Amino acid sequence: MKLLFVKASNFKNCEDNFSIDLVAKSKKTSEDKEYELQEIAQDLYVYNTLAFIGKNASGKTTAIELLDCCYSILGEFRLEDKHYSYDDVQLDMIFYHEGYLYRYMTTLKSDGTLGNKAMFTKQHLYKKKYFKTQLKKIYNMDGYMEITDCGELPDDTSIVFFVLKKKVTRALYFDSFGEGANTYQLLFRVLKNYEISNDIFLNIIQIFDENILKIEKVDEYNYRLFYQKDVKTLSDKELVYLLSSGTTKGILLYTLMVASLKYGFDLLIDEIENHFHKTLVENMLSLYKDKNVNKNHASLIFTTHYCEVLDLFNRRDNIWIAKSDGKVGLSNMYENYEIRGELLKSRQFYNNTFQTAVNYEELMNLKRKLM
Amino acid sequence: MKYLIMCEGPNELEVISILLRNSCLRISIDDLLGLKPYHARQIKNSGIVQNELNMYSGLVKIIRIGDSLNEKLIIPMMYKDKIIEVTKYCTKPELEMLLIIAEKKIKEYDKVKSKMKPKIFAKQNIMCGRNYYKNDSKFYTEYFEDIDLLVDSIKEYKRIKGTHKKDELYLADLLR
Repeated sequence: MKLLFVKASNFKNCEDNFSIDLVAKSKKTSEDKEYELQEIAQDLYVYNTLAFIGKNASGKTTAIELLDCCYSILGEFRLEDKHYSYDDVQLDMIFYHEGYLYRYMTTLKSDGTLGNKAMFTKQHLYKKKYFKTQLKKIYNMDGYMEITDCGELPDDTSIVFFVLKKKVTRALYFDSFGEGANTYQLLFRVLKNYEISNDIFLNIIQIFDENILKIEKVDEYNYRLFYQKDVKTLSDKELVYLLSSGTTKGILLYTLMVASLKYGFDLLIDEIENHFHKTLVENMLSLYKDKNVNKNHASLIFTTHYCEVLDLFNRRDNIWIAKSDGKVGLSNMYENYEIRGELLKSRQFYNNTFQTAVNYEELMNLKRKLM
Repeated sequence: MKYLIMCEGPNELEVISILLRNSCLRISIDDLLGLKPYHARQIKNSGIVQNELNMYSGLVKIIRIGDSLNEKLIIPMMYKDKIIEVTKYCTKPELEMLLIIAEKKIKEYDKVKSKMKPKIFAKQNIMCGRNYYKNDSKFYTEYFEDIDLLVDSIKEYKRIKGTHKKDELYLADLLR
């Protein structure tokens, strides 16, 4: 299963028909096919890496939360414990699954009970066979047949269940807040649930701290840390303090990345540069672009302020610029901007080509007040 | 120090990958930047190559693989100190010469070489199983399943095509 397109209205503070198209648009060179794209069906290419850029409060996180919302529905057939209102959110998504294209439309409502759950109303699910000759027609309704009479489900369960059937992780979302002391509980759950080997886990630890030989879970809240000549038993809070929150987040994020690459689900990261060193970000990009490593069509989707990362993108259609002018809108660097290909993307970012620069006048206003 | 292998096209990349997998080269996968060869003509146009160069802080020697490699490799300013050597390994006029040699059709090809490129000749004359060559990198994997056939063809290419320019080495020079 791969999500290809989503359009939403009334989602957080987004403009109506807020859309994200995940199908590769611009020319696909043989180098792109090797490193930048994955062919999920004949001639149907999606991205290995995708980025959302924009200044602060422009809506980058909102964009990635919309994708997280879709993946929750497609993975668990439910939507719960999100931090936004579900009321009247209209979703229209297209996904590819086992040779077919599916189009799913629904309007969400908040659950009437105290639980933070969405109810699925006005649901429609359509299906059509994928043919490479009709690549450009995946967005229009021609050829889609509605799937009806598939059965009854509770209001809080989406009818995509009837197609996808099994609960599977479709994506994991790593927000910029981190999990604090709970990180280690989550980390060990990830290791267990996604069957990540001890060897790989130790390798990850040593990327972040060469002095640690091993971390072992003693019980739910206590862990044992092995150094060359020393063993320490620490609570989760002490562990975060000792290893620094950066190392803690980094170890978790790298472990999630390993799970994503192993099982082929997407990894959504808010503010990727917040979590660690530039080289480690570059390494993540490199691993998702390497077909020997990324064997199961995983994609890395992230938001960033760190525009130098964009210079490592060979394409422009996998970069979206978020802007908020009352309502959040997205534009695509390939479809919506005529830019000179020979200039570095970071240079264009600094030249304010995408109107993403920090407001200089406001910076100077602050400086004046501090003088 | 690491080697960065930049192949001009997907077919060159496939041939080099086959040689690396079978430990036929004098460098191993562990010697390579990013543990693999790359399909890239220019550094500035390849995000993945820049990515790998950024991650590694040591010195790098570039090995370029292509048919003629007439295009000069431009080293971006930021990598000038890091890249200490660039070497070209050529299979001119085209990589398909290896298929023609392997098929023992070099004499046949020599008769038409003034009017037919090796690629066209290979498409018309060389088969693997029931399939004619279609400029497809998978063809090389299947055709050179017997690694000795590939190694012998590379050596034979150097023997019969001893006319490269001074700075153009032969794939045979990369063999162990």
